[in-house]
Amino acid sequence: MRADLNGSIVPRTATAKGWRDRRPTRWAERGVSRRSFLKFCAAMTAVLALPDRYLPRIAEALEKVKRPALVWLEFQDCAGCTESFLRASRPSVGDIALDILSVNYHETIMAPSGKAAEKSLMDTVKNEKGKYLVVVEGSIPVKDGGVYCTIGGRTALDIAREVCGSAAATITVGACAFYGGWPSARPNPTGAVGVQEAVPGITLINLPGCPPNAVNITATVVHFLTFGELPATDQQGRPLFAYGQRIHDACERRAHFDAGQFVEEWGDAGHRKGWCLYKMGCKGPATFHNCPVVRWNDGTSWPVGAGHGCVGCSERDFWDTMTPFYRRLPQVPGFGIQTTVDTIGPWIVGGTAAAFAAHGVVSAIRAKTRPPQKSEEEK
Amino acid sequence: MPKIAIDPITRIEGHLRIECQVDGGKVAEAWSSSTMFRGMELVLKGRDPRDAWLFAQRI
Repeated sequence: MRADLNGSIVPRTATAKGWRDRRPTRWAERGVSRRSFLKFCAAMTAVLALPDRYLPRIAEALEKVKRPALVWLEFQDCAGCTESFLRASRPSVGDIALDILSVNYHETIMAPSGKAAEKSLMDTVKNEKGKYLVVVEGSIPVKDGGVYCTIGGRTALDIAREVCGSAAATITVGACAFYGGWPSARPNPTGAVGVQEAVPGITLINLPGCPPNAVNITATVVHFLTFGELPATDQQGRPLFAYGQRIHDACERRAHFDAGQFVEEWGDAGHRKGWCLYKMGCKGPATFHNCPVVRWNDGTSWPVGAGHGCVGCSERDFWDTMTPFYRRLPQVPGFGIQTTVDTIGPWIVGGTAAAFAAHGVVSAIRAKTRPPQKSEEEK
Repeated sequence: MPKIAIDPITRIEGHLRIECQVDGGKVAEAWSSSTMFRGMELVLKGRDPRDAWLFAQRI
């Protein structure tokens, strides 16, 4: 019974002690009501794909947690991941996340500059050794001694080794920190790599995406604070709650794929009707991310919902393997088939046209068996 | 003449270093340097032009 969470329906005596006790939360003085806080916890439980019996556990953990330190490092980045995180408003993600944590270093939002800024970072590394979290945004250049990114006179590689090496856990946000991102796309002028490659052997989780969704970043932190460990991941270190399902399998336009109804040209009748974007180069069939479910801009929409194909931004090397972005993916297996990340690998890259031609034939047959759409349009 | 270096400059997007030569309480000379390079133009070379906006908006 969810109504009692708001404290208006069930009389106080009927509720159990503990988390259901309706005292104001520690966020009340900061303008976050108990209702907002519990909505936040419920959203996190849902995003983490946990049964709702975990809701009280998460609420309790977040109430008790003693503001662990977090430092946010930016290397070869565009600050887009930072924007994605800070501009999220559902449900008070910014308010709550920034209050759960003590953000000791973040170049884009911190007040001190120069030596004072570097002191904040180094104090955290020394005083909170083994206890703080690091978020890394941006790739790390390793070519020519790492001269292509320096902060306070130190190379990105040097900083990453020290800061990530002493942390409780490292969370990489975005494609760049995951594998190098577009700076590492052909011909990779600066020798850009991801954190996993630059600093091997650390406790790390990858949240790729260009940018990643703030809900997933926050949910990962909440999981860590509640259970004391990072969420389960796939072979590439991506949490399964966010990257366990293929975009194609959760896509709202999937029925049109299965029915052979495709957009053939931008702005055609099918495009206006919201048909499948596969033939326009959508990379949803080769991409694992929860975009169709959690969506963007307060859950308003997402790229495919807005009428543009997925570009595959949560996959390794997508700037090279998924381009040209408007070219159809080869070898997408038939209709109505679901798949998992461990079975999909081999056919994504550089496939032959054979299996794909078969798909084209089936799609053509289906097109013939459909009632003539064009004549309807012409009327 | 004392020289001041501020690196990193915060509250901006990107990486910036400012060095100033101070003479009698006034800035006599100043140098700015962007301390990060990725090579967007080199990466874009030879690609499908329809893909360019996706790269370029991530500058």
